Amino acid sequence: SCEDGEIVVKFAHVVNATGHPKGVAADTLAGRVNDEMNGTMCMEVFPNSTLYDDDQVLEAMLQGDVQLAAPSLSKFETFTKVFRIFDLPFMFKNVDAVDAFQTSETGQAMKDSMQRRGLQGLQFWHNGMKQFSANVPLVSPADAQGLKFRVQPSDVLVAQMEALGASPQPMAFSEVYGALQTGVVDGQENTWSNIWGQKFFEVQDGTTETNHGIIDYLVVASVDWLDSLDPAVRDQFLTILEEVTVAGNAAVGDLDAQARQSILDAGGVIRELSDEERQAWVDVMKPVWEQFEGDVGADNIAAAQEINASM
Amino acid sequence: MQVVLLFTMVMGLLLIGTPIAVALGLSSIIFLLAFSDTSLASVAQSLYQAMEGHYTLLAIPFFILASSFMSTGGVAKRIIRFSIACVGHLRGGLAIAGVFACMIFAALSGSSPATVVAIGTIVIAAMKQAGYTKEFAAGVICNAGTLGILIPPSIVMVVYASATDVSVGRMFLAGVIPGLLAGFMLMVTIYVMAIVRDMPKGEWRGFGEIGASFLDALWGLMLIVIIMVGIYGIPGLTGAIFTPTEAAAVASVYAFVVAVFVYRDMGPLAARDGQGRKSLLQRPQALVTALFHRDTRNTLLDAARLTVMLMFIIANALILKHVLTDEQIPQSIARAMLDAGFGPIMFLVVVNVILLIGGQFMEPSGLIVIVAPLVFPIAIQLGIDPIHLGIIMVVNMEIGMITPPVGLNLFVTSGVAGMSMMAVVRAALPFLAVLFVFLIIVTYVPWLSTWLPTSRMGPEIITN
Amino acid sequence: MSGQTDAAVSPLGRFVNALEEMVIAYILAAMTVITFVNVVLRYVFNHTILWGLEVTTILFAWLVLLGISYGFKRTAHLGVDAILNIVGPGPKRVMVLLSALACLVYGGLLMKGAWDYWAPFAGYQRTEGRIIPTGFDDRTRDQAFYHTEQVPVPFGGEFLAERFNMGESYDKLPRFIPYFVLPFGVALMLFRIIQATIGVLAGRRDSLIVSHEAEDAVAEARMAEN
Ligand code: NA
Ligand code: NA
Repeated sequence: SCEDGEIVVKFAHVVNATGHPKGVAADTLAGRVNDEMNGTMCMEVFPNSTLYDDDQVLEAMLQGDVQLAAPSLSKFETFTKVFRIFDLPFMFKNVDAVDAFQTSETGQAMKDSMQRRGLQGLQFWHNGMKQFSANVPLVSPADAQGLKFRVQPSDVLVAQMEALGASPQPMAFSEVYGALQTGVVDGQENTWSNIWGQKFFEVQDGTTETNHGIIDYLVVASVDWLDSLDPAVRDQFLTILEEVTVAGNAAVGDLDAQARQSILDAGGVIRELSDEERQAWVDVMKPVWEQFEGDVGADNIAAAQEINASM
Repeated sequence: MQVVLLFTMVMGLLLIGTPIAVALGLSSIIFLLAFSDTSLASVAQSLYQAMEGHYTLLAIPFFILASSFMSTGGVAKRIIRFSIACVGHLRGGLAIAGVFACMIFAALSGSSPATVVAIGTIVIAAMKQAGYTKEFAAGVICNAGTLGILIPPSIVMVVYASATDVSVGRMFLAGVIPGLLAGFMLMVTIYVMAIVRDMPKGEWRGFGEIGASFLDALWGLMLIVIIMVGIYGIPGLTGAIFTPTEAAAVASVYAFVVAVFVYRDMGPLAARDGQGRKSLLQRPQALVTALFHRDTRNTLLDAARLTVMLMFIIANALILKHVLTDEQIPQSIARAMLDAGFGPIMFLVVVNVILLIGGQFMEPSGLIVIVAPLVFPIAIQLGIDPIHLGIIMVVNMEIGMITPPVGLNLFVTSGVAGMSMMAVVRAALPFLAVLFVFLIIVTYVPWLSTWLPTSRMGPEIITN
Repeated sequence: MSGQTDAAVSPLGRFVNALEEMVIAYILAAMTVITFVNVVLRYVFNHTILWGLEVTTILFAWLVLLGISYGFKRTAHLGVDAILNIVGPGPKRVMVLLSALACLVYGGLLMKGAWDYWAPFAGYQRTEGRIIPTGFDDRTRDQAFYHTEQVPVPFGGEFLAERFNMGESYDKLPRFIPYFVLPFGVALMLFRIIQATIGVLAGRRDSLIVSHEAEDAVAEARMAEN
């Protein structure tokens, strides 16, 4: 536990401390901070929603009761709409494209988009590209028609499922496995590491490798807290955070591949799509972009597509 | 050390007669103000989010409401008639029928006191008439009523699932075999006692009465089918229709419809002022007026009040849990226990002791909210199945409900039977021994709890 | 369950009673109906009311937070009366007054917490001071922009935007509306605790917790049956 006089940094997140990219990165960060900034700063990590879940953590941060969090980007809806770009289907080809976009000037500017509301984005952390799974084989987009899909409650994802002719169902994450297994809902979308970690593949016909979207996190702190730090302390902390981010994001590709392989080894079915098959999904889902162009900014979309084309 | 202070404060406040919820909440707040820099606003946030942020806990008001409609709406008394038709002719038959009726009602209701009130009000009086002693009758019902939280659906299981993030559906399945076993053990005990003490037996009314009473109770019994099919589906026919939480809401609506429009024991179509039951054709406006009828309103209000009482305690227990987490207490307890070299057996013994002691003073849901997060991580490290741990906790809570000074079933039974609480405690004692033996069996035979959920839903995944 | 009540003889008292009971009863009914309708929509029509889940959990919070004060009024909250029942009337009175004091402190602290939590969402200032409010904190950041996830604004959107959000329109219902039940419910609770304490001092009440709850619960169950 922390000593007197140290700046206590509480970091609350919602995943396992081990086996999940975010949990691992959080522990690495805490380890380095407690080691290198011993006596100045002390970080305590609260995994698994034990302290706050993602819906409560930002409120608590503005209140000053927690200092660091890394919710998924769709949790910032109420602060800014620019992050909707990461939910738009087929916006990015792969995690490398996402990474290149985030480190570009456009991406960096996005981190400051919530300052007026009291939050400062610090670093993007990757989870991976999203895939679709369902209790029937999904090859063409028509296969998804009429199915019930669990989605995170976000306007973009709801619109995306409606574009597919599927019925979006908001549902607590902890209920998803049971609901998929018993058939309360038919399918879901998630990254390889979540599909493996939550064992969704066990209760689905198969997973289709669509790479249609991204799940990413933003490490945030409150503007007021950052301002209260001594500049030298803040810089040291932010430097450590940046180094942990670079290393963690670089390792995500491997974790992703491992999770994918583990699913295969455990007897899960993975369907790869040919270029034409994938294009059919793009054709159906891409029109969603227009609907949200105003929120995200046409220039931001253009910048993302330019990076995509260069990959 | 600080933790000892915290728990002493809780105990002290409890013993001077402070409401349980306030004892938990105030101690947490004082602890927070003294030992951390967390704000009072975060306490208010916890209080609000206890409801808004815990989707699973929604099952509590719904199951309570379903129970209220069933006991006021005449489902309970039809179940009792059916039970007596089945086993009333055995020696000690009425008592055995009482246990049987409690088991059936438990399969409809999520709460133990509700089961005692629903079945006990009728059965205890009937037993006295048939020549049983009041003590024996009270002891039987007080104990059998605890099955309300072991046989699914169960409010305590919902709370456990919510506190540890295991699946509610899995917990419900896990309770089936232990629930049947506990009921069976109680019935055998009664049968043996009945033969030894030469207790009365009822007359055999024939299969006709079994059939007739079954048909009369069918609408109520259908609810078990609806809940089970709804949550688990029928292989090859339909997938599941709703989550366990939604099942509770569906059960409430169904129970309302059966009570008001089918049995017509309550609501605008009920018999009153010397007139018999009306049919819906005679009074079609009942479709609307039933929603606002005095009986409906009173049933809703009863359920709402009970919900508030329970949730006020649970919400404050969640505040305490938040404080414990914030101060990283679970980790230090876990470390201490693991450092002490506890194996799974020793650990489970300690858990049983903690829960048995806690169960003397606390209401089950509140206690589970506090204890589950403390012991869950250790159990996982020791390789104990979280579902098995959950069932052990539920059985401990059953025992807590029939032991003084805080025992919800004792309170309710003493009211139903018109006996002093100490008299009920004495009456319940022989059967308490049965529950103890049962606890030992459940603790050392994990198979009883895990076989059904594992075979039906695959092995449990630990995400927490 | 009801324990002792302050007999509500005045028409106003009767009206308040009826209103409180009506509100908590029909909040529960609304939660049940919304959830049920969503099940039917999903299973039969492959459709869902997206805001159903969130509104239900909000109503759940309203039910409980409005119900707590009602529980104090009706002396319906659970506690341990084992010791109260064995000590003499003198010590019992001391113990009951001490627990009334505990409830007052609890209500008071929670009142500050509830205000501090809610105020920024409605554009008001938090209070200064860690335990006792010592004024308003003018560095409080306005969080009126913070809205719910899925709940639409049923009406009055323009007024809300003008009054609370500097003219920026709301896509979804702002959070200060559902959260309002927190300071409101806690204030009601504090009021009922004060009333109960006065009742104890005046000798009209002999406890803050339900005693012999069993008899009452059963009596009520019987009444409901008849
Ligand atoms: Na039950
Ligand atoms: Na007890």
